[in-house]
Amino acid sequence: MGEFASFIANNLADFWTYTGFCNATPGHLVMILVGLFFIYLAIAKEFEPMLLIPIGFGILIGNIPFNTEAGLMVGIYEEGSVLNILYQGVTSGWYPPLIFLGIGAMTDFSALISNPKLLLIGAAAQFGIFGAYMIALEMGFNPMQAGAIGIIGGADGPTAIFLSSKLAPNLMGAIAVSAYSYMALVPVIQPPIMRLLTTKKERVMRMAPPRRVSHTEKVMFPIVGLLLTCFLVPSGLPLLGMLFFGNLLKESGVTRRLAETARGPLIDTITMLLGLTVGASTQASEFLTWDSIKIFMLGALSFIIATASGVLFVKIFNLILPKHKRINPLIGNAGVSAVPDSARISQILGLEYDPTNYLLMHAMGPNVAGVIGSAVAAGILLGFLM
Amino acid sequence: MFLFGLLLATGLASCTRQDGTAKILINEVLTNNVTNFQDDYGIHSAWIEVFNKSYNSVNLAGYFLKVSNQPGDTITYIVPKGDVLTKVSPRQHALFWADGKPNRGTFHTNFTLNTTQPCWVGLYDSGKKLLDEIVVPVLNPDESYARVQDASKDWEIKSGSKTKYVTPSTNNQTIERNEKVEKFEVHDSSGIGMSLTAMLVVFCGLILLYIFFRILGKAVFNKSKPVKQPVNMKQEENTNKSAEEVFAAIAMALHEELGGVHDIESNKLTIRRVHTPWSDKYNALRVIPRKNS
Repeated sequence: MGEFASFIANNLADFWTYTGFCNATPGHLVMILVGLFFIYLAIAKEFEPMLLIPIGFGILIGNIPFNTEAGLMVGIYEEGSVLNILYQGVTSGWYPPLIFLGIGAMTDFSALISNPKLLLIGAAAQFGIFGAYMIALEMGFNPMQAGAIGIIGGADGPTAIFLSSKLAPNLMGAIAVSAYSYMALVPVIQPPIMRLLTTKKERVMRMAPPRRVSHTEKVMFPIVGLLLTCFLVPSGLPLLGMLFFGNLLKESGVTRRLAETARGPLIDTITMLLGLTVGASTQASEFLTWDSIKIFMLGALSFIIATASGVLFVKIFNLILPKHKRINPLIGNAGVSAVPDSARISQILGLEYDPTNYLLMHAMGPNVAGVIGSAVAAGILLGFLM
Repeated sequence: MFLFGLLLATGLASCTRQDGTAKILINEVLTNNVTNFQDDYGIHSAWIEVFNKSYNSVNLAGYFLKVSNQPGDTITYIVPKGDVLTKVSPRQHALFWADGKPNRGTFHTNFTLNTTQPCWVGLYDSGKKLLDEIVVPVLNPDESYARVQDASKDWEIKSGSKTKYVTPSTNNQTIERNEKVEKFEVHDSSGIGMSLTAMLVVFCGLILLYIFFRILGKAVFNKSKPVKQPVNMKQEENTNKSAEEVFAAIAMALHEELGGVHDIESNKLTIRRVHTPWSDKYNALRVIPRKNS
């Protein structure tokens, strides 16, 4: 009886070593709190729930403590585990292009086609990348790491993952989470900067309604856009190629079923997997480092710089534009290519000051230009530093 | 049709000029092995290194290695099929032993290399298309003839010195540092140069797009411009604008009304009286029979 009791006791003691309670560290608890905070923001504040719910829950999944030496094959960094297989979509970068396919299939580029000068706002906002690059250099990162961190300011998760995997693979996890988190936190970061840099008069400025865009122009846009942008920056091919392909599915008018799949079930599935695995990749042991904290700080700074440079560029640009062609500076933030969230912020803020002033159509122009601009910037960083 | 033909011809012409675009190249050759790399039998034999310069795996099965020590006596070795080791990973090397003993394995060829006079080495794909060729000069013992860097155009004799070392099955020049990054660290430690240059390129790229779409937009606008009529244009423009807005408002109102969608529902159920022949009071009553007087 005594032997049996000790056998049971040993088994229970052994079992205890496998439990999360035994393996928990303060780091795990901190990360679980971060995950809960993300979920709170998504549900209570409705900050990008589509991104924050999967990322937040992913953080919980990734930070359930377990005995890493037991070979349970459950962790995201254990080769062959289910989570690791799902994470391949992030590390090898095939989730982001599929998301871009869906974005292309749901985006109307009429605003950009009818008013192509909005493209320049997308270019100006890329200063966020290089501003963060300079600060990262000052903080002691080497040029390759600084380039990978700076791209967070492009507000383009897929591009950030692509570039960091080439320039600084050891920082990829922190950079990816930082990029996606700040994209989700666009409603928190951008409005105060936009308010700070604009006057009340500027915020209610009405823009000339975009002209009607013909079906031919809409069909030509993805084809010409692909050829022009990808000849200039072939490194943006997976993203831009899928973006324009999705848009052609939408605009051609003869592939309705394909377009509906791309902008419906496909993008939903990939968004869930991408958010969940990016969140789960933040295992405390891998993630809670001093570098990660610095990257988060730099990420926030790069978003702030990008937003500010977009808004300020519009204000300067307005000085040379005729009065009837002036641009509302509230769409300057949309140059940060968090499609379509930053454009939505322009719309929400515009409506706050004038409930009849709809800026979404105008803001989509710089928003899409921002995607192109960040892909170009990534190509330049890759060319200069690789 | 003419234009299509022209394009096709240009395409075909560019396809035939594919020199130097092969994925697999001869990368290094050592003809006189005295104390250098040993094969898996522990024997010092001459060797030929090939390099996969692409970013895809390439299977060498069925490829041909040809050697000519004297004009007119070309010997051909066909890389056997069925060996998984013939698949060369991206940017990796494969080493063939020129020991004249093909029975020793896939990578042992049926020829040897002449150490006393220059020899020609050619590499062909399975379709017998020449991929790469090189004439190896007479080399001293343990010297190799190799590309300066993997897949580079220039060749040199590697004598085994500190800077020119023999590298079987590995990179011809070990990359220990990133010169680009080092230059940036020296000349642009604050990152201003990079930022200015990169922003310039980003602006140039998007200005190019702006110009294209502006021209396209103008062309389309002009095409769809209505014929000029002798009326006050400004007034007409204003009328059109306001008319468009009115039409939009009417359409939206009709849509809401007909769609039965409301912002706020009253939450009241109303049972309307519907008149049908069955509910008609008159039809439901019997007709009073008349008395016939």
